[in-house]
Amino acid sequence: MDASLLTIQPASAEPIYRQIVEQLRRLIAGGQIAPGDLLPSVRDVAGFHAVNPMTVSRAYSLAESEGLLERLRGKGMAVAAVKRATQSQVQRLALLEPQITALARQARELELPAEPVLRRLGKLLEE
Amino acid sequence: MHAVANVAAAASQAPLQVSGLTHRYDAKVVLDRVDLSLEPGSVLGLIGRNGAGKSTLIRAMLGLLVPDAGSAFVFGEAALKLSDPVKERLGYVPQQPDALAWLTAAQMFDYLSRFYPRWDHRFVDSTLQRWKIAPKKVMAKLSPGERQRVDLIRALAPQPELLVLDEPAAALDPVARRELLREIALRAGESGTTVLFSTHIVSDLERVASDIAFLHEGKLLLHCAVDDTKERYARLWLPAKLAYAAPASRFDKRRHEDGSISVVIERDDDGAWPDATQLPGARVDALGLEDLFVEIAE
Repeated sequence: MDASLLTIQPASAEPIYRQIVEQLRRLIAGGQIAPGDLLPSVRDVAGFHAVNPMTVSRAYSLAESEGLLERLRGKGMAVAAVKRATQSQVQRLALLEPQITALARQARELELPAEPVLRRLGKLLEE
Repeated sequence: MHAVANVAAAASQAPLQVSGLTHRYDAKVVLDRVDLSLEPGSVLGLIGRNGAGKSTLIRAMLGLLVPDAGSAFVFGEAALKLSDPVKERLGYVPQQPDALAWLTAAQMFDYLSRFYPRWDHRFVDSTLQRWKIAPKKVMAKLSPGERQRVDLIRALAPQPELLVLDEPAAALDPVARRELLREIALRAGESGTTVLFSTHIVSDLERVASDIAFLHEGKLLLHCAVDDTKERYARLWLPAKLAYAAPASRFDKRRHEDGSISVVIERDDDGAWPDATQLPGARVDALGLEDLFVEIAE
């Protein structure tokens, strides 16, 4: 994987380390990077994007603790060898968290009660 | 033997530490009881509007200005009486460098390199080339951006442990700015260099800073880790009919023309927002640093 695969938006309200973890999650879920693929070094990512290396380390450690990445001795970080089917329901649900949060927020802004929103969502999910 | 022990003792000290710094120009208070300290290896972005007191604070921190009240220490030494060994560990680039302007860059580097045992000649040569700066041109004839870059090279070449940059990006174009940020980020990460830089360009700061300090009208409004800041603060907007429910905040509330109100809120120790965020019609917006800065500095 190349450092240019990541996009950093410094002005976003989302901290940079979270942006990196979310992108890794999506790149892995979408198959753009596969189990065993090596990640660019902290220095490469920090140098390419001109961000603080500690931010990149923090993102990698968080991704490691979430099971997305694993540390290979002497080689650095690699995509963890977890198959999709073995991911727990909780882990797969966590992937939807940003969208669900956004939906909940917009529903509140429209002053919609929970019940019709959930009904509509339930219908979509059954399709 | 003694000197070595002293250096070791100083190494455990905060690179920069000030308390109660207060300063006036005539009747105007430019620094108002500022307390601030830098952790070794951190990159602190000092942000504030023009005239907020950033340069005055930096100069007072380094002992280049005698404050009306308060104290300043560099690696544990009183800033107004820095010894040569501590000065060697410090690199400072003022906002408008003009020292030694009658020399060429090459002459200045040749002269200065004799005073610094760790002077990095290779870095100087390669950076001059990369930044396309004529080493044989008298510095007074360089453009402001070129002059600023020469001074950055001058500050970085001795491989300082503490780097202080006052508005380093002011005269730089976007490409040069990105290069400078990369240099700062990698030095902090690899050599453990502690960096303080002031800017009013928030996006620069968001890339490389580990910590941020907001200076407004001489007061330090906020000092915390960049990531925490983004996660801990948000803006709560309440429509006019709920304006009475606005929670207490250490920052000023803003009342809009239609009677609605917005206020910067902070998570409590358990990570929860104030109760008012649950009211129907209340809206919570995540804030980037720039938004946060505008909210609290208006």
